[in-house]
Amino acid sequence: MKKVFEIALGIVTSVGGFLEIGSIATAAQAGADFGFQLAWSIALGTICIGFLVEMSGRFSAVSKHTIPDAMRERFGVRFYVVPLVVMLGVSLLTLGAEIGGVAAAVKLATGIALPVWVLPAAIVAWLILWKATFGFIENGISLLGLVTVSFAVVAYKLHPSYASLGHGMLPTLPHEKASHYWFVAVSVLGASVSPYLYYFYSSGAIEEKWDRSYVIVNRAVAAIGMGFGGFLSVAVLVCGATIFHPRGIEVQHYEQLPGLLTPVLGSAGFWLFVASLGIACIGATVEISLSLAYLVAQGFGWKWGEDLPPHEDARFSLTYTVIVFSAALMPLVGIDPLKLTNVAMALTSASLPIGVFPFLILMNDKTYLQENTNGWLGNGVVMIISVMAAVLAIVSIPLEIIGGS
Amino acid sequence: MRLVADALDNQLEDVNGARAGRVDGIVLELRDGRPPRVAYIEVSPITLLSRFSMRLAQWFARIDRRFGEGRGVPFRIPWTRVARDGPTMKIDLNVEHTPIQAFEDWLRVKLVEHIPGGGSK
Repeated sequence: MKKVFEIALGIVTSVGGFLEIGSIATAAQAGADFGFQLAWSIALGTICIGFLVEMSGRFSAVSKHTIPDAMRERFGVRFYVVPLVVMLGVSLLTLGAEIGGVAAAVKLATGIALPVWVLPAAIVAWLILWKATFGFIENGISLLGLVTVSFAVVAYKLHPSYASLGHGMLPTLPHEKASHYWFVAVSVLGASVSPYLYYFYSSGAIEEKWDRSYVIVNRAVAAIGMGFGGFLSVAVLVCGATIFHPRGIEVQHYEQLPGLLTPVLGSAGFWLFVASLGIACIGATVEISLSLAYLVAQGFGWKWGEDLPPHEDARFSLTYTVIVFSAALMPLVGIDPLKLTNVAMALTSASLPIGVFPFLILMNDKTYLQENTNGWLGNGVVMIISVMAAVLAIVSIPLEIIGGS
Repeated sequence: MRLVADALDNQLEDVNGARAGRVDGIVLELRDGRPPRVAYIEVSPITLLSRFSMRLAQWFARIDRRFGEGRGVPFRIPWTRVARDGPTMKIDLNVEHTPIQAFEDWLRVKLVEHIPGGGSK
């Protein structure tokens, strides 16, 4: 019975924690610019993150190691610094976008300029990190994130063409704006397959003292939770494709985003959007900051644990403190959260193999996983999607910058 | 045991099970007419940095030396006090008040204890 409850809670929190500014903004842009045609990129991203989350939970449950821990052990420090530096760089940009997302939500609610809310948003996130336990962060904030289900309600009420949506699930070549099409596709992929998610999940399994008996729970949570999370991203795309695309509206500013819900829900839709953006982004801010602090602390063998009072793991606690306030500088100096999101998501895609490949090697190492190593399907799917995302990103980012199509 | 694969970079735990850094370096003793012997492991940013750049390590050591006696050189633990427990290496000493914890202790005393709420969750 306890395991059934854990599966249910895990699924609910995975769904509630799935959307953040990256997935909302990129799915809305994909729908607005290309209708249903880019639905496949959400499907591919969701499959990939589902596999990665399942692997990271299984890895920690069986080996009692986190991914960074094993990565330094297996490949040595001279290798470890490469994913460390890349992850820190790319995830700091994502973190800046998330803090900007929280501030944007409060700006929408109050009308007071966004930069005013950046520092308060960072302080709230830091207070949660400083005082809350891992369970509160994982369950409490993610449960509040269920407000994002409102996108699915609106998508259903819009009566989209399910035939067109089904057609969009199959990758097709663009009819126009080719470079922009691929750029949006890799941004969507980057938003779905954010490495911080599976690093966070891997450390969470150790925080919650998982053992081998959690392998099945983990599989169910990863498959169903990520599946429903991806479904919510598709719902955002449907809203964009049905509301923005026919009117030729391009998503250029986050102020346009409440328009995903207001045509159906009116002013309630506006407030639901504000709540969705604010909660989803504060949740992601906390999770990314923790993920990066885990990455540093585990790599150097420090004492770490979100359940420990900060004075017991001073280096770990100060690492997330420095991270959260450094990232806040970006929206604070006026960098637009939406533009920051696009850059961060595309760079996440471009750098995927740097974190994914060593992880796959670990997932096939019997020293850590005994009989629980990866099968050919997991290896193949994750490798193909991450290489494809990286290649597309490396080709499309320069084209998007120079404006070619 | 394969030293580089099985010991270098592995997690250390002290006698109380507390995380105590990683094996940043291994010191071998060369003996006339006999095979080399593992003498110490080193746990120190100086050793870690020397694996990337000796100049960087020397620069760090110069700064570290200012923090008092015994600083500015890598902290060594005799191999006889190290035991393998799976991939984790157990050390037969309390890590509290060793140079391994020096920076952690300094941060706690100078900074974290002055921030409200740092003592409990």
